[in-house]
Amino acid sequence: MFKFLRRFLKEEVDEQTRLRLKFDHFRHLLANNTQALETMADMEEKLSGDYLFDRAYLQAQVERLGGSISHIVTELNLLTENRYPELRAISQQIQEEILREFTAAPDIPATAYVLPLSALTEEAAVSVGGKMANLGEIGNRLHLLVPEGFAITAAAYKRFLEASGLDVELAKHLAQARIDDLESLEAISREIQTLVRQAPLPQDLEEALLEAWKPFLGLPLAVRSSAVGEDTDFSFAGQFATLLNVDAARLPEHYKEIVASKFTSRAIFYWKYQQFSAGELPMAVGCVAMVPARASGVMFSLDPQAAESNTTLITAVWGLGKYAVDGTITPDLYRVSRTPSMEVTEQRVAEKPVALVCRPEGGTAEVTLPPEQARTPCLSPEQIQDLAVIALKLEKHFGQPQDIEWALDDAGRIFLLQSRPLRVSTPKTPERESTWEQVPPLLSYGVRAVGGAAAGRVFRLHRDDEVANIPPGAVVVVRQPLAKLVLVMDRIAAILTEVGSPTDHMSILAREFRVPTLVDVGGATRVLHTGQVVTVDADAARVYPGVIPELLDSRTQPDTGVQRIPVFQKLSRILKKATPLNLLDPESPEFQADRCRTLHDITRFAHEKAMDAMFALDVDQALEPRSCSRLQTDLPLNLFILDLGGGLRVQGQAWVKEEDILSRPFRALLRGFHHPRVTWAGQVAPDLRGFISVFANTMYDMGKAEKGLGGKSFAVITENYLNFNSRLGYHFAILDAYISEEKNDNYISYQFKGGAAGVERRERRARLLGEILDYLGFKVQITGDMVQGRMVKYSLLETEQTLELAGLLSAFARQLDLALSSDAVVERCFQAFKDEDYNLSFLRPQQSVT
Amino acid sequence: MAEQILVVDDEPNMLRLLRTILMDKTGYEVSTTNNPLEVSKLLQEKSFDVVVTDLKMPLVDGMDLIDIVKKIDEKLPIIIITAYGTLETAEEAVQKGAYDFITKPFRKETILITIKRALEWKRMQKELAALKKQ
Repeated sequence: MFKFLRRFLKEEVDEQTRLRLKFDHFRHLLANNTQALETMADMEEKLSGDYLFDRAYLQAQVERLGGSISHIVTELNLLTENRYPELRAISQQIQEEILREFTAAPDIPATAYVLPLSALTEEAAVSVGGKMANLGEIGNRLHLLVPEGFAITAAAYKRFLEASGLDVELAKHLAQARIDDLESLEAISREIQTLVRQAPLPQDLEEALLEAWKPFLGLPLAVRSSAVGEDTDFSFAGQFATLLNVDAARLPEHYKEIVASKFTSRAIFYWKYQQFSAGELPMAVGCVAMVPARASGVMFSLDPQAAESNTTLITAVWGLGKYAVDGTITPDLYRVSRTPSMEVTEQRVAEKPVALVCRPEGGTAEVTLPPEQARTPCLSPEQIQDLAVIALKLEKHFGQPQDIEWALDDAGRIFLLQSRPLRVSTPKTPERESTWEQVPPLLSYGVRAVGGAAAGRVFRLHRDDEVANIPPGAVVVVRQPLAKLVLVMDRIAAILTEVGSPTDHMSILAREFRVPTLVDVGGATRVLHTGQVVTVDADAARVYPGVIPELLDSRTQPDTGVQRIPVFQKLSRILKKATPLNLLDPESPEFQADRCRTLHDITRFAHEKAMDAMFALDVDQALEPRSCSRLQTDLPLNLFILDLGGGLRVQGQAWVKEEDILSRPFRALLRGFHHPRVTWAGQVAPDLRGFISVFANTMYDMGKAEKGLGGKSFAVITENYLNFNSRLGYHFAILDAYISEEKNDNYISYQFKGGAAGVERRERRARLLGEILDYLGFKVQITGDMVQGRMVKYSLLETEQTLELAGLLSAFARQLDLALSSDAVVERCFQAFKDEDYNLSFLRPQQSVT
Repeated sequence: MAEQILVVDDEPNMLRLLRTILMDKTGYEVSTTNNPLEVSKLLQEKSFDVVVTDLKMPLVDGMDLIDIVKKIDEKLPIIIITAYGTLETAEEAVQKGAYDFITKPFRKETILITIKRALEWKRMQKELAALKKQ
């Protein structure tokens, strides 16, 4: 590859040898930089939703990207005599974070088997699960009221599984689970649960549990799952067990019961559906003192189905919160404005005929409430306000909308039992009045839990065990919400329940599967019968007879696109760590190695610093002054030249003139820059700027872009060789060329890669540059926003002429990010290039094309 | 009558996605299963025009499936979807009688075009058979 270099490097000159070695590192760095950018562009392209890909693809690309980045860091340090050692650790850290996406089982920290709630904060999530870690955070950092308690850690779970040999058994059983066969799923679930319940606890764990419950002797406990990863990317709402009002003395038994609940049929389904492997979701368990609740409920700090309404949603029932969560009864529902007025904008007091309460002897019981209490609101206006304030406080603290469980005791104290991230649906669909009234609706009430419209045959579900009989495409009608419906949510059309609320577990899961869902549709089970064809308009809370295509078309449709599949979400998470560019301006004091937050930042930083080092601009071990010169030119270029032999007429000058240049390829390029139809002066014309501000979506900071035009460009030259690196606005162009009489040695390689503009605009630019390079006779490859053109084995004259055109193209390309506001403009720009309108005059109506 | 397509993939998300893509503005009728063991039963119950299957599946993989399908209907085109970087196996599949293969990642249009070609191929085979009879 560097054969030609040898021709001009005189062996006896040490300086030249040193320079050659340095140039080797520089070239390796550039090659890896190109590969890294190419890989990132390829992965970004897959994010468009037009592709189907698998995990193997992701793994291969991540590996390739990691390799390139590691090489870049190594070469930069070789080039700069280890000036940026910290970059190694940063690169490694980002790469490890990315690789974690592929780790089947997260590392379980070696903690004690039991940790008191008073010692927990958010950071403990990997040890005790998000639920308990957040509860600790709320109590210990936010100082809001939470019950006392402790967590049985993920380390305990690991110990239990390994000591009992359960881990091997479970993996065997789980491998057989087929998610399309509900009966086998139930059977496997029963087998696994029996295994877990019967397995003995290792002695050290049992002792730790006995020690933990001592302070709670005689006090009833609530024992619930707090699986690690349970509330992060996927909602396991209601998938795992909760035991209420149980005796602390029987903790080992309760513990095993919760662990067993990891393997209910619905949890296995959901878990396999989301492609969690057997080792994932280590089950930590939370144990807290039972709050003897007068009223309880759930609140969403922001209404997830109507984010634009800017309200907090609160539901409340008498007694324990389970009935609000599982939807046994329709709870009271309050909407509170999130503006400073905190006005209650909606209050629906439901008929709550029953309540779940603690039995003195343990466990819970349903009690019938006197009619006047059943109709009384569970919360006073002050309590509603207090809850809304807490919701906003939690949202602010955790940095995103929260799904919160709370309980009110007899003394009127509000206890927080759980707070976890709430997924707010986008696009936000406002609740609409139906505009379709040509047929009278069968039902015209209910609360939208998941928006959208769907049609199908009614399946009236009477019992839980009939879930397996629900046919695909059915509109499921059931009296009360049933989280077990998750087993068929990937294939049903809609759900209607007679009671329930948008905050119950079934609704949360339905939202995840985007199944249009109406809850609290009184009379649904009476009016609708199995086999009847209906159209459910969840947006307007209407059910019509028959199929109404107009409604299905006009309503928000559930999205079944590629973006929802787990491997796609994995890519999206990986790219968030890889591609955002934070280091934009090399002149900024922020442009430091330790500010690199993504892999793209590392490539950007290394590229810039490699240039500086190659041209000895700011390294201590500067090269001989004669090696590097600056070009004195009327072009708006801040151009540094490194002559490796025969490229310049003069040696050792700080400044050189264009006539001093002997390098043939460089002279050809400069001729292109000076083409009479190219206007460099004045940069982008003010009227074009006007056009841009009106026409373009200005993701682009004009001021910075202009400044970038004056940024450094670099040329490494010999008599026959040119390596030209330039920054054009925020994007880069690298041109590498060799010209000689020997046709077979001649080549030009030209490469563009985008910077800070939006993906769409960058890809448009790539398409246009690809078309132009193709037009100029290059072999073109486009990957995402990266364009590579290559031309080999043309005659000296042809190669020289093409280089001139490449110079022209550089001048032309610098304007493109700004101009390419639509696909139509791409075509017009291509035409402009062919018409030799290199200044894009068509964008300036008042100026005629010269 | 709408063309009948059977899609086999053990991964339910991919299955659902393929169903959505294949049914979007095409007029195809798409049946899916994530259990390759069910395929022979499905083929006997209903007549299909194309089978699209993942190559790597537990119990019965795409290679076995080619034999199963060919035994029931020798002229039924099978399109194999392969994982990233398993080109050799895909070529083997074609040698074994698969109509074509697509390697992930692929564009949505790619599978639509491949299916269209497979359907045309099937039609031509049918016409050819009819001509031979004459």
